[in-house]
Amino acid sequence: MATDNQNATGFGEVSRVRGIVFEYLSLGASVAGLVALGVLLVYVAIDAFDLANASPEWLLTYFLTLVVPFLAFCLYSADDAAVTRRVVGVLAGGLVAVAGVFTAIETFVVTIPRLSWQLAYLFVVAAPVTAYLAYVGSHGRVGAVGFGLLGRLVGGIAVGLAVGTLFLVFDELVWFLAYTLGVLPAAALYAYGRWRAAARAVTAAAPIGLLGLVAAAVLRGVVRTYPSDLVIYLWTLAIPVAAVGALVVAARGSRTAAVAAGGGPLALATAGGFLAGSVGLPGPTTLIVLAVTGVPTAVYVHRVVDVGEGTVGLGLPLLLAAGVIVGALVVEAWGVPAPDPWLDASYVTEAPSRNAAEAGLYPAIVGSVIIIALVAVLSFVLGVGTSVFLEEYTAGSGLVGSLTRLLQINIANLAAIPSVVYGLLGLGLFANLLGLGYGTAVTAALTLSLLILPITIISAQEAIRSVPDDLRRGSDAMGATRWQTTKNVVLPEALPGILTGTILALGRAIGETAPLIMIGAATTVFSAPGSLFSRFSAMPMQIYAWAGFPQAEFRYGVVAAGVITLLIILIGMNGTAILLRNRAERGS
Amino acid sequence: MSNTSSDTTGDESLITTDVETGSTDRSTAVGETAVAARDLDVFYGDEQAIDDVSIEIPEKRVTALIGPSGCGKSTFLRCINRMNDMIDVCRVEGDVEFGGKNVYDDDVDPVALRRKIGMVFQKPNPFPKSIRDNVAYGLKIQGFDGDVDARVEESLKGAALWDEVKDQLDSSGLDLSGGQQQRLCIARAIAPDPEVILMDEPTSALDPVAASKIEDLIDGLAEEYTVIIVTHNMQQAARISDRTAVFLTGGRLVEYDDTAKIFEDPEEQRVEDYITGKFG
Ligand SMILES: Nc1ncnc2c1ncn2[C@@H]1O[C@H](COP(=O)(O)OP(=O)(O)O)[C@@H](O)[C@H]1O
Ligand SMILES: [Mg+2]
Repeated sequence: MATDNQNATGFGEVSRVRGIVFEYLSLGASVAGLVALGVLLVYVAIDAFDLANASPEWLLTYFLTLVVPFLAFCLYSADDAAVTRRVVGVLAGGLVAVAGVFTAIETFVVTIPRLSWQLAYLFVVAAPVTAYLAYVGSHGRVGAVGFGLLGRLVGGIAVGLAVGTLFLVFDELVWFLAYTLGVLPAAALYAYGRWRAAARAVTAAAPIGLLGLVAAAVLRGVVRTYPSDLVIYLWTLAIPVAAVGALVVAARGSRTAAVAAGGGPLALATAGGFLAGSVGLPGPTTLIVLAVTGVPTAVYVHRVVDVGEGTVGLGLPLLLAAGVIVGALVVEAWGVPAPDPWLDASYVTEAPSRNAAEAGLYPAIVGSVIIIALVAVLSFVLGVGTSVFLEEYTAGSGLVGSLTRLLQINIANLAAIPSVVYGLLGLGLFANLLGLGYGTAVTAALTLSLLILPITIISAQEAIRSVPDDLRRGSDAMGATRWQTTKNVVLPEALPGILTGTILALGRAIGETAPLIMIGAATTVFSAPGSLFSRFSAMPMQIYAWAGFPQAEFRYGVVAAGVITLLIILIGMNGTAILLRNRAERGS
Repeated sequence: MSNTSSDTTGDESLITTDVETGSTDRSTAVGETAVAARDLDVFYGDEQAIDDVSIEIPEKRVTALIGPSGCGKSTFLRCINRMNDMIDVCRVEGDVEFGGKNVYDDDVDPVALRRKIGMVFQKPNPFPKSIRDNVAYGLKIQGFDGDVDARVEESLKGAALWDEVKDQLDSSGLDLSGGQQQRLCIARAIAPDPEVILMDEPTSALDPVAASKIEDLIDGLAEEYTVIIVTHNMQQAARISDRTAVFLTGGRLVEYDDTAKIFEDPEEQRVEDYITGKFG
């Protein structure tokens, strides 16, 4: 390029054409990719929620009762006149622009299928503005409080449902024994040791706990009578959660508040658990959900009130709930046509069906959740273990060093092997050789763990490697053993990075179908798996099966609802993991 | 600084500043030997970093190791607490005695050895933990059974940091300034009550004010600990040390004597040239 053409300024000019071209090409490529994905997701959402049949009146009602109050809340929290002006401007200007462009395209170019200008406005203007405002608002005190509370409510419900789901396949009686004989004594001993600064009690906690677990496994075959499920969950989950909540509040001061924050939700959860049966809800799950939602919420509310900043934010959940209710009442009274979403309560609680209107994803959701939970635990433990070994324990030279390098190269290669091949491995190794069964949840979980293990290991190694050597040397020089240095300094520092890698890898695992097909997983099962060894299906398998159905309702509505469910669960899972990671980052 | 006696200063001092040499509160008579090296050679692969060094370092004194870059000061320091073991290519021959025992004997556990020898590095390296946890780290890994909080307070006072951080013991050690971080590292090193403290250029990453605070501190440390400090800064060696060892290129110990003697009237011409800045 013309790097040396002189001009009047006297210094000449340096051409930047290539850089600029490159910049805009890459920008264009990424924008094009994102827009394509966005359009796809918009259509999927429209199908899943049947928004194509939503009347403009229906949209307007909910816009006014739900979206506008939420925006107002965020603006109030941000408390910035410039932002307010900008948002109002964009909302109003966007309305005119979208309506104009949309009508122009429809009249002069093509008709846009299944989309009205109101919907386009919703997705193109209202949704991004809402997201932006939520971001801005969350930085204000009020917004932070509101989102914090909302997060605890939603997170609590999600965690509660996940725990309830896991107990569909895990034996709660074993858990009852293990908790009573192992976990509880160990935790008590540990707490006592910390409280009284008795190092011996702290070190004894782990062996005692292990002993209890072994005893539980043995006694499970001997003991015949057990309390009811509800009592087991109350004793092993709800009470400890409430106790931890009460302790957290007590640490901040008031004893009465502590009792209220722990006892209130506990009483509510117990009542809910016992009464749930009468309205057709499963008692134990209700109990767990209420407990893990109620206690953190109570603890959080106490803290906010205690600090006394942004208390108004606590009203956010009420505001949203009121918006939904008022919206529903208005729509009802007005009698405008409302959409009939595919993705509704029955979709996520019922089994698949030949009839599109009755089809549900419940067994596949349960299957996916169970598999992912197992994969998360397995790949985290194995991945961290292997990477710690490779990074911290092997010598750089000699025979061991060469072996390590060989292992290292192989791990990198394993990450590049197609997932179908892993399916074959799972089929041969776990299903055939170890006899864990074709298409069972354990086989699937082990296979998927193997599949993502290389990614987990490599990212964990990366994270461990990025811990400054200074810190290791500092710990070593204090007379720490290799293990103490790893446990106390390296792992806490590397944890956020390790979690990031695991999150990405899990995202891949939850969407995999090829290895599941190879190990003989069913595309459709009609009841949720009852044990780790029962046949199961996973969400992507079920979605794939539906996509091949001849009826259009399946190919559009039901599949779309499945995709959205899968995405919501994925985002929920990642969100939880990211929150944990951020907490780990802040904690260190 | 507490240079109360000025009898060791003189116009003949070789370094150009008018600092007084030697913190001579302590008697200049050399006491018991804390650490000794005998015929020590250290190699990194084929390259020799320490060449036949023999030295006896007295207890409860400040001993400074000076010399140009790359002459093996850090290497020598790392031999004392066997931190060289971590370097794959490093090979040590000869004896290093601590408490009358050769630390390179087969029956010596380097981890146990390091619990008796604290170390402070050039760049402050507090752990990304709270101030309290940083100081209590050594106690924790050694399974200390006593009153941790009291020890933390005592160590922070010993490192002249207590008054600055006593209200923020639970905030991160990384939130402190560079000089405070280095004092935190000193507190961390003295908390398990070691016998020797090794310091490898502890002030070279700090500004002069922070550095002088640490110098003041080192003076007090020698009441209880044997301090061995590597420094690049001749004035610093002159100010804070009782004994000075001069290493020159090739890893040879050229001269080792009372600090006053080294800075006023060294035996070796090369040492005089180095101290007066003719090279290095
Ligand atoms: N980890 C190492 N690996 C190989 N050579 C090293 C290592 N550390 C130091 N050396 C070499 O040993 C010699 C002495 O280094 P060092 O003890 O760091 O000197 P000083 O601290 O006096 O500047 C130098 O030549 C240096 O290159
Ligand atoms: Mg050095």
